[in-house]
Amino acid sequence: MFAFFKRLFDANLGEPIVIVSGLPRSGTSMMMRMLDGGGMAIMTDQLRTADLDNPKGYYEYERVKELEKETDKSYLKEGRGKALKVISWLLKDLPDDNRYRIVFMRRDLSEVIASQNKMLKHRGEVDNSDDKMMIDAYMNHLASVRILSRKRDNFEMLEVRYDQTVADPAAAAKAVNVFLGGKLDEGKMREAVDKELYRNKKVAT
Amino acid sequence: MFGFGKNVNVKVDKDLYARVAKVADVAGYATAEEFVQHILEKEMLHFEDTKNDADIRAKLKGLGYIS
Repeated sequence: MFAFFKRLFDANLGEPIVIVSGLPRSGTSMMMRMLDGGGMAIMTDQLRTADLDNPKGYYEYERVKELEKETDKSYLKEGRGKALKVISWLLKDLPDDNRYRIVFMRRDLSEVIASQNKMLKHRGEVDNSDDKMMIDAYMNHLASVRILSRKRDNFEMLEVRYDQTVADPAAAAKAVNVFLGGKLDEGKMREAVDKELYRNKKVAT
Repeated sequence: MFGFGKNVNVKVDKDLYARVAKVADVAGYATAEEFVQHILEKEMLHFEDTKNDADIRAKLKGLGYIS
């Protein structure tokens, strides 16, 4: 009986929006590129263009950055059946009137911070944050995201590791394709992974 | 029972509980429950603590990912 009502409820919310999420610089653009290559429709306005930090583009939708502030989020319905990039910080602000299938990118936090710091420098931003403190803050934030994904009935989440995707794109493409229903071209998804772009690698100790 | 009391029961693995009880005893806690409550309260602070939110927000803003 519960399954019947759940199906009815899900049908009302339409196709899920595929959200590619994670901390900035954890491989979200790479995953968007993989989905794009695999044949998934992408929700992007291409306002933020490719640069030194993301030579192959950001795949962003500018309005999403206002999720914390905006009250009318009905535009997100346009993303049903498409892939949309939403950084982890903003997942909590996604409205309840959609279903979300979230591909969540994970990367070593020291690599994330090194890459973020580089990007801040390129953007001419002053950053006085302490790296160790940021790792702690991000760890807590990621735990909160996991809790959120369990609490929200309309969230389904798959965690994908950036380093493992670069090392074995075929396995990552397969896992993501299965999670998203199996309709994507895994060969094309694999081809979208550029190992050369894995630049801020943690030095083995 | 039925939520009238102030406590609830949480099931944990038997072996884990045995280890917890041992450490609680060595550490001087009155009971294993007291020890577990202390640990949980400490851990919960990590998730409920929002003092780092401003740092994260500043960084994400600088990176151009939030407005």
